[in-house]
Amino acid sequence: MSYRVPLRSATTENDLEERTEVDVTVVTERPWNVVVWNDPVTPMTVVVAVFRRIFGYSENKCTHLMLTVHHEGRAIVWSGQRERAESYCVKLQVAGLQSSVELDD
Amino acid sequence: MANKLFVRRRDGRVEVRLNELGRGVIREMCAHVLAAERDVDHEWHLSLRPPINPSSDDDDPLSALARENEMASNAEIVVLSLGEEYLSDAEAWAWLCTLQVALRATAITHGILTDEKLEAASPDLLDTILTLQHFLFDLSACF
Repeated sequence: MSYRVPLRSATTENDLEERTEVDVTVVTERPWNVVVWNDPVTPMTVVVAVFRRIFGYSENKCTHLMLTVHHEGRAIVWSGQRERAESYCVKLQVAGLQSSVELDD
Repeated sequence: MANKLFVRRRDGRVEVRLNELGRGVIREMCAHVLAAERDVDHEWHLSLRPPINPSSDDDDPLSALARENEMASNAEIVVLSLGEEYLSDAEAWAWLCTLQVALRATAITHGILTDEKLEAASPDLLDTILTLQHFLFDLSACF
């Protein structure tokens, strides 16, 4: 026996009235950056492999990010919500890369 | 390809072509990672706990715990699969993560934070670093 359960509640006139009375305030939060830092021992191929595995970026993008880390000392590899940024940072640290999160300027 | 230490096979597994000496090096590195996770006095302990958010006084304890558990879990997977001729994709990834963690911890512990410091490293230390880099270079080519 199966039951059909509505997934969306029916909209009533009262709902519509309530919605029109609510002031909409859009809060834009600054994103959090995941930063990877250069170090003198990590092979470049490892950095590319880790970026591919964790972020699923293309080979070209991973190589570009790796070279940015190598030449500029650091690269922002992901930006967005704080919790996700910290989660990605942890994954990079587990893979042995030096990484941290920072609030975007 | 004949000289590669790790080779990705067509069936997705990673073939390990290390001899007992090479596997012994990896066993030793895993032992250090596992010991450092548990022992606050281990010389690698701090290097395995870098700040996640340096602008904050304390990192989220759940994030830090997740990192420590995953690092230890990876090292345990390596120890358990150390005698295998072929690794699954997940096992090979655990090997790569653990070897890279060991490489970085070795460098940090000896203050090797610049190219100049690396060039000035003792022959024994340089040998360890080059060995780990060789493993990682071949293993990362499988991903």
